[in-house]
Amino acid sequence: MAKVVVKDLHKSYGDNEVLKGLNLEVEDNEVVCMIGPSGSGKSTFLRCLNDLEVPTKGQIVISGYDLSDKGTNINLVRENIGMVFQHFNLFPHLSVLQNITLAPVQLGKESKTEAEKTARHLLDTVGLADKADAMPKSLSGGQKQRVAIARALAMKPKIMLFDEPTSALDPEMVGDVLDVMKRLAADGMTMVVVTHEMGFAKEVADRVVFMADGLIQETGKPKDIFENPQSPRLQDFLQKVINV
Amino acid sequence: MKKWQVAVVMLLAAVGSWFSLNTHAQAKTYTIATDTTFAPFEFQAKGGKYKGIDIDILKAIAKKEHINYKLKAISFGAAVQQLSANQVDGVIAGMNITAERKKTFDFSNAYYTSGVVMAVAKDSKIKKFSQLKGKTVALKTGTAGAAYAKSIQSKYGFKIKYFNDSNNMYNDVKVGNSAACFEDYPVMSYGIKNGIALKIVSKQYAAGDYGFAVKKGKNAALLKKFNAGLKAIKADGTYKKIVNKYLKSSEASLTGETASSRTFVGLFTQNLGTIGSGLWMTLELTVISIILATILGLILGVLGVMPGKIGPAISSTIIYLFRGMPLMVLAFFIYIGFPDLIGHGFKIPAFVAGMITLMLNEGAYTGAFVKGGFQAVDDGQMEAARSLGLPYWTAMRKVIMPQGIRIMIPSFINQFIITLKDTSILSVIGIVELTQTGTLIIARNFEGFKIWLMIAIIYLIIITLLTWLSNWVQRRIN
Repeated sequence: MAKVVVKDLHKSYGDNEVLKGLNLEVEDNEVVCMIGPSGSGKSTFLRCLNDLEVPTKGQIVISGYDLSDKGTNINLVRENIGMVFQHFNLFPHLSVLQNITLAPVQLGKESKTEAEKTARHLLDTVGLADKADAMPKSLSGGQKQRVAIARALAMKPKIMLFDEPTSALDPEMVGDVLDVMKRLAADGMTMVVVTHEMGFAKEVADRVVFMADGLIQETGKPKDIFENPQSPRLQDFLQKVINV
Repeated sequence: MKKWQVAVVMLLAAVGSWFSLNTHAQAKTYTIATDTTFAPFEFQAKGGKYKGIDIDILKAIAKKEHINYKLKAISFGAAVQQLSANQVDGVIAGMNITAERKKTFDFSNAYYTSGVVMAVAKDSKIKKFSQLKGKTVALKTGTAGAAYAKSIQSKYGFKIKYFNDSNNMYNDVKVGNSAACFEDYPVMSYGIKNGIALKIVSKQYAAGDYGFAVKKGKNAALLKKFNAGLKAIKADGTYKKIVNKYLKSSEASLTGETASSRTFVGLFTQNLGTIGSGLWMTLELTVISIILATILGLILGVLGVMPGKIGPAISSTIIYLFRGMPLMVLAFFIYIGFPDLIGHGFKIPAFVAGMITLMLNEGAYTGAFVKGGFQAVDDGQMEAARSLGLPYWTAMRKVIMPQGIRIMIPSFINQFIITLKDTSILSVIGIVELTQTGTLIIARNFEGFKIWLMIAIIYLIIITLLTWLSNWVQRRIN
């Protein structure tokens, strides 16, 4: 069974229907990039995957957990899903190390000593070994986002969700964050990435999903999507993105 | 145990022991309320002890009839209210026996007969009631003087201003805000003899009898003993001795104060004991109330930001109720209204009532800014915490609260200072805290300026210390 199965997903805010019936499956070790114009519902879709948004209708099954089932312990599901936000959302009152160890220690996954050891190792892999005791406010945007990735990885998730992870970064910081993500992908992490980085999508994605108007308009291998777009909406979108 | 847990346990223990002490003390002992500022019938002498005709008569009768009692000095109005609410067993406070009062209270035989006189400032030209037209008259609530003045108000066309204690009433006339006051003759003449700058300009009107009062239908045995004792002390000459002692001597000989002790420093050292106990009461109330209000405020704040509708609804209702109610109304409601409602002789000690009042009022204010502080924390923080798998309450405790509380610290300091100052309002239910101490001292020495200055300085000193402490805590947390 696929790692993520989404069936007929709808989401409305009052009269405003943002998601109008999405179907998607993500396989183990697959990297899926979601592209599309602003307001197309990409982020809402991603947030539905770990229940930060509750769907109006439809079914989501992740690693065998059915999110629409009231009996599902959402906290347990979330332990298996790492999420990285556009604005990092580091905990400003905790040091870098404490940001990373908070969840594993609080949830009894690891002892404090073990968690710190894991955290230092993760910081090393994202190139921030020397920042363990720094406070978040002393870090640059790119550094914050790499800490946020390390924080998500500390829970040893089976799937990682990225919500426009480089959109709030200065251009020279983007590369460091994308490098970390590329390495994750290479190590076989299942990833769903909402992004405007077409280069990243082209290079790393196993599959690209193009969303517009609350629907998936086209999906395919990066090569097909970028070199041979079928729908006029996608052709139009790529035109605009590439011309920028 | 963590530090905050230790603090909570200690607090509960303190409140608990306080309750148990209180129930012990009240066993088999009558609580008799009296006024605080009604010399020569009752007034506070040096060292905080009460003296006066009422006090001595009660003591003499109790000795003859073997009555165990505890004296409770509060304002006259509060004494009467507490008697009707069953908070005390009897009142002896120069209380006139009137038909109106007989509907609510049972009175002893009259132990003193007195009339009402009009007094004006020393340099005033007012001699007759007719000269009061359009002017303001100062009255003390619930007194025979007030009742008499009210009865002639429409005839002479004056305005009325009410006070809760005699000294403020005298002062209002002295400084010229009011043209005259009406007071019982022995009280007025005693005051003038002891330095009040007023003069009596009328004869005695509406002579009335003073009686000892109990609530209608209650404490009949106590009343019977009082009457028997009164008869006995009149027969053996004790009564006459008591009355003469107060009406024929000056205050200084009774209170033990000398003229040389009227300097600022002299007054301070003389009244150190009284002021000290008032200060202690203020501090005790402040500290306990701050702790309770903070706990309540945190609960209200957390409820206010909880997901769903029930928590926020409860929180905003409680905040709305107790923030909207004046502190004084709330204090009266809890101390007098609530036991009245429950009945069955249910009593709340004044200290506990005061504590609950402050807890609810200050807690409501605290709840409002705690809620605001939590809401000021970025939504992304909760989302990030939840996305890691942390349950709501863990996320609240470990991520939202530490950040929110940092935002709230200035509001907390502000609220602590307000709480300290608000304790002074509790003097209305008879708690003798710092402000009430000032009222009591002035009632016998009439040194308004120096004593109020002293009290103001003490408040400022504590508030300064409190601010320093808060700033230190704030620096530590950041």
